[in-house]
Amino acid sequence: MRAGAGDIELAGLCKSYDGVTNVVDGVNLRIPDGAYCCFLGPSGCGKTTILRMIAGHEEPTAGEIVIGGGNVAGLAPVERRTAMMFQSYALFPHLTVRDNIAFALRVRGQSKAERYKAADVMMEKVRLTELADRLPANLSGGQQQRVALARAAITEPRVLLLDEPLSALDEQLRVQMRQELRRMQRELGITFIHVTHTQLEAIALADIVVVMEKGKIKQSGPARDVYAYPCDRYVAEFLGGQNVLSGKVEKVGDRFVVLSQPNRSGIQVRLGTEARVVVGDRIDLAVRRDDIELVRADAGSPDDGATALPSRVTAIEYQGSFVKVMLDTVPDEDFVAYVPERIFFRDPFNVGDVLLATWSAGRARVLA
Amino acid sequence: MQRPNLSAWLYVTPLMLVLVPFFLLPTLVVLVASFFETDGFGGLLPTFTLANYVDVLTSAQTFLLYVATLKFAILTWLFTLIIGFLVAYFLVFHVKNQLLAIGLFLICTIPFWTSNIIRMISWIPLLGKEGLVNSTLLGIGVIREPLEVLLYSGLAVVIAYVHQLTIFMVVPIFNSLARIDKRVVEAALDAGASRLDVMRYIIIPMSKSGIALGSTFVISIVMGDFFVVKVMSGGGSASVVSAFYENVGVLQYPIAAASAVLLTLVLIAMIALILRVVDIRREITQ
Amino acid sequence: MTVALGEADLPMIRSRRSSAVARGDRRPWTFYALAVVFTLYVAALYGPMICIYILSFQDIRGGLVFPMKGQSLHWFIDLFTQVRTGDVKGSFDRSIKLAALVTVITLVVSLMAGLAFRRRFFGDTVVFYLMIGSLVAPGLVLGLGIGLLFQWIGISPSWYTSALGAQLSWTLPFGVLVMFAVMSRFNSVWEEAARDLGATRWQTIRLVVIPVLAPGLVAVALFGFTLSYDEFARTLQTSGSLNTLPLEIWSMTLNVTSPSLYALGTVTTIVSFVIIGACIGAIIVINKRRGVRATGH
Repeated sequence: MRAGAGDIELAGLCKSYDGVTNVVDGVNLRIPDGAYCCFLGPSGCGKTTILRMIAGHEEPTAGEIVIGGGNVAGLAPVERRTAMMFQSYALFPHLTVRDNIAFALRVRGQSKAERYKAADVMMEKVRLTELADRLPANLSGGQQQRVALARAAITEPRVLLLDEPLSALDEQLRVQMRQELRRMQRELGITFIHVTHTQLEAIALADIVVVMEKGKIKQSGPARDVYAYPCDRYVAEFLGGQNVLSGKVEKVGDRFVVLSQPNRSGIQVRLGTEARVVVGDRIDLAVRRDDIELVRADAGSPDDGATALPSRVTAIEYQGSFVKVMLDTVPDEDFVAYVPERIFFRDPFNVGDVLLATWSAGRARVLA
Repeated sequence: MQRPNLSAWLYVTPLMLVLVPFFLLPTLVVLVASFFETDGFGGLLPTFTLANYVDVLTSAQTFLLYVATLKFAILTWLFTLIIGFLVAYFLVFHVKNQLLAIGLFLICTIPFWTSNIIRMISWIPLLGKEGLVNSTLLGIGVIREPLEVLLYSGLAVVIAYVHQLTIFMVVPIFNSLARIDKRVVEAALDAGASRLDVMRYIIIPMSKSGIALGSTFVISIVMGDFFVVKVMSGGGSASVVSAFYENVGVLQYPIAAASAVLLTLVLIAMIALILRVVDIRREITQ
Repeated sequence: MTVALGEADLPMIRSRRSSAVARGDRRPWTFYALAVVFTLYVAALYGPMICIYILSFQDIRGGLVFPMKGQSLHWFIDLFTQVRTGDVKGSFDRSIKLAALVTVITLVVSLMAGLAFRRRFFGDTVVFYLMIGSLVAPGLVLGLGIGLLFQWIGISPSWYTSALGAQLSWTLPFGVLVMFAVMSRFNSVWEEAARDLGATRWQTIRLVVIPVLAPGLVAVALFGFTLSYDEFARTLQTSGSLNTLPLEIWSMTLNVTSPSLYALGTVTTIVSFVIIGACIGAIIVINKRRGVRATGH
């Protein structure tokens, strides 16, 4: 048993408020000590509930939570040595920055001198020293977040739980504070569990991304794995950056399949490897949006082995470093190409242009 | 869900320790006493008789008392409603500076925290026979004789009630009006609604809960009052409760109790009627 | 492209905004009409009270109506020295003590009830309607009930037992209702944060809940004190042999026809105003310190 380590194991974790539906439904997960783990999912998927169960603010209906090798069922938050940073921070409005940070030491009965000394050290660490005597209402969003972080960290927890820590900030600050969080995590060297509904936040920060839907884990793993190799349509769509083609397999050939949809058939897609599908299967195919090349219809046929689907441009959005081109490649489904800005403006398309959406074999993946 | 109930009850226990002995039990005592007989010296004989109710219900005086009290209640309600609504509307929709609105609102509420009796007797130097109103009117020649109806009359009673109770309309109506999203009104104006339409279709319906709450206060206070009637009418008018007080004064407890029970039933019926408009519990706790 | 379209939209939106601002600037006639109504209301609210304050400063020739006859503090001295006007000093003393007692109890009990009512619990509706019933019950009837109850049990009524209870049956519902309003702005996440940092239940209440709610609690105290200090109908039959101040005033209205009645009105209103001023001042100071704008809605 490695007591003190922030190693977390969730086993068969369930939570139900009404005894009928499970908000958290059989979650199994292992988070190694010192990892930065992001729970990602839409609101109501159970991610915050998991966080609150780890923190000890709610008791699981079933299953176990093991932290550092010990089962923490029934223990108070302090005994678990977890600390939580609440959504919109929950700073005590009547206490100064220093008193907010020293709060945990105060309730442990430390003397004023003792706890202020510890608070001053902590404030130094998060660069709050000049603001020590301010009240929370007189702090900016970013400063408030630093206070919340310091207040949670002063108990020297082995796990820090962060509930949507960046949602109260505006766009620019969010990116800045994201780096701050990562820096603090490295400095403290403890496990961070961070709940968010923003995929950008999750993949930018996390060592482990856990994608959730309706109380269940859909996929978990390193950020790049989850983003580049989503296991199913839900994960692919939630993380974005992928086009998903679905349909019934009409024909399976040598390294290609032909899909049919209710409104369109004969969609021929080449695959890098032998497809393990049979005629009649319903499958989802994923292609990254930045893997798609757009070629004018009269520019000659693309390389052999590439997929080429005739499409019409339905809308164009300029995104700065790239241009988002929306196509009607498959009826009733979004199909989008991200074209690097420089390439797009060499020969810009217009809405209504007919062209070929192409990608080389091996870029398309059959989803589970 | 056993634990939340237990701790919640722990927290309301002190409240119940006041409400049970000082509201629930006394109410039941009055109810029980209304079925007893009196020995004529303030003692009660524990029998069961309906004679007290028969006395109260068959007395022509009871009927007159209710007519008089209801008249005061309705007049007071009408005036407090109109004034209260206009004041609250002015503060919420016409005073653009929020700090100023809160300041003016406080000015309206401060007298609520001072003595009712003092505020009532403060009308004497104004309304009396030689009071400020009469002497002013005489001075500018509007009247030749001082008006006697100003003080110690039904008019004086209504003035004193309106003076004391308008605040009970202002506060809840102010709260419900303040909750109206100003953009809703702007949207309605943009859609071509006239200001009258806005009043009819948006503001009045949305202030219904405040009006109902204020009405409950005003009506229950007027129906349960006796000292304004006694002082301001100069003994000329009586109310249900002043008759009750006289019965208590001559130790006729059972009759007094029976008329109190009747009054309570009438009050409950009136309030129930008002509250059909609004879920008071949701309104207050939200 | 969409970018160009978006830019084309902007001037249109801007022009509509500015027209809306212009519309807000021109005040409709109703503003002036309602401003007059409001001014008259405030004048009628304070005017009569101001009259008696002025009249209480007459000299010995003073009467109950204008014009002022001289200026002196005669009636104030008369108030506290003459036996004829009753035991003003004693009743004043009693009223302040009783109000202080009621304030403390109202504060504690309302805070606890406010905490309980944040969530639904079994029987909450019963408690709620008992409270509303206690609020709207005719004070005199309740007074009789309490008097009879004490008589049956065999306790003689006094201002610190039966009258205290009778007043609480009036101040508590108010206190709890104010607490509801205060609580609606209290976020329970503060308690959770305190718990997360290791605070016990009592530490959470002492170090977080009470200080955070402080402005609201001051408001509850204001209600508790002033409602008790001025309470009349419920106290009339429950105070036993010794009068509280409003009862003293009441008996004076029946038999005193000199400006000493006004002098008493002035004194008691000054006490009220001091309390009100202190409470509102405290609320403003606390809120200002925390950077909250005004007492806010």
